[in-house]
Amino acid sequence: MASTPPQGRQRADASMSLLVDLSVDALDPGYAAAAERKRAAGTDRRPRWVLVGATVAAATLVIAVAAVQTRASAPAAAKSRAALVAAVDRQSATVDRLERTIAELSAEQDKLRDASLASTGAGAALARRIAAAELVAGNLRVDGPGLRVTVADASSASGGSRVLDRQLQDVVNALWTAGAEAIAVNNQRLTAQSAIRQAGDAILVDFRPQVSPYVITAIGPAVDLETKFGASRTAERMRANSQLYGLRFDYARAGRLTLPAAPDATLRYARPAPAASPRGRS
Amino acid sequence: MIVLIAVALGVSLGLVLQPTVPLDLQPYLPIAVVAALDALFGGVRAWLEEIFDDRVFVVSFVANVLVASLIVYVGDKLGVGGQLSTSIVVVLGIRIFSNAAAIRRRVFRA
Repeated sequence: MASTPPQGRQRADASMSLLVDLSVDALDPGYAAAAERKRAAGTDRRPRWVLVGATVAAATLVIAVAAVQTRASAPAAAKSRAALVAAVDRQSATVDRLERTIAELSAEQDKLRDASLASTGAGAALARRIAAAELVAGNLRVDGPGLRVTVADASSASGGSRVLDRQLQDVVNALWTAGAEAIAVNNQRLTAQSAIRQAGDAILVDFRPQVSPYVITAIGPAVDLETKFGASRTAERMRANSQLYGLRFDYARAGRLTLPAAPDATLRYARPAPAASPRGRS
Repeated sequence: MIVLIAVALGVSLGLVLQPTVPLDLQPYLPIAVVAALDALFGGVRAWLEEIFDDRVFVVSFVANVLVASLIVYVGDKLGVGGQLSTSIVVVLGIRIFSNAAAIRRRVFRA
């Protein structure tokens, strides 16, 4: 420093004196001032113990109340959390049961439809068209040779990196591009309307949460699929990710894979809009 | 002696009566606890340094609790209540720590 401080010795760390002051003046300066006053007055009266006792009692009461309060509210929080978890599990089970019922009913419906169509020649032709359309739409259980791709989060020992929805989407799209005819993620069939996306910590496939490891099964010409997928840029990127972040990424041909049918999609039809009045929409 | 009785009285009152703190006052409870601890440790240190003064002790306790609660109250109104309570806990925590260290030095001479 070029110039000397104007008065007295200045602390080198004067600009950040807050923390230093805090620990140096930890004791209320009032005590020192009171002691100074007493010494000046030359009196040495005894403290009023009742006052001190009352204050100490008040202070410990506050602490005890806080402790009691915290103990009382902790189990309540845990309990409501457990109740919520149980409710979620129960509702998930209900959804699963209802979906099974839907699958059974629509299988029965398909059987009845096929039976009634088979009675006429035109009906049989229609049934064949329906079967072909359902195969493409993913509404039929299918099996055949294919490729099984496994993608998983890194273990916590190697950094705990997580698979992103984008990476799963890329893998699925690369498989479609490589010639896959049907794809399922963790045994959940994908259709043209499927969505893979992230919500918080979970990856949702068609709004159903999935957990790592993600097994993506694709049916198609196995050798061709493996060659093309392995040479794709997605596979290249995933291999790099697995080296960099410890994500798991591997794939292997499978002789026979069975993919479940996708749940029936709600069909939406376009309808002509009601004729607009000359003045435009009212 | 009277201090120990007071401590026992305070704890047993809290445990026996189990008073429920009104919801409006609950944010101030942790702050009051830290302020109370600060006053207690300050008092003990002053006692050991033989400069204890009853009036300073009582006033510092009451004022600490009130000012700390007031700061949190104002912070709540301005939307920075959480941050201000953190700052109070930090400041009083440092004070408690250095007072405890001074007490330790005085008691154990180390």
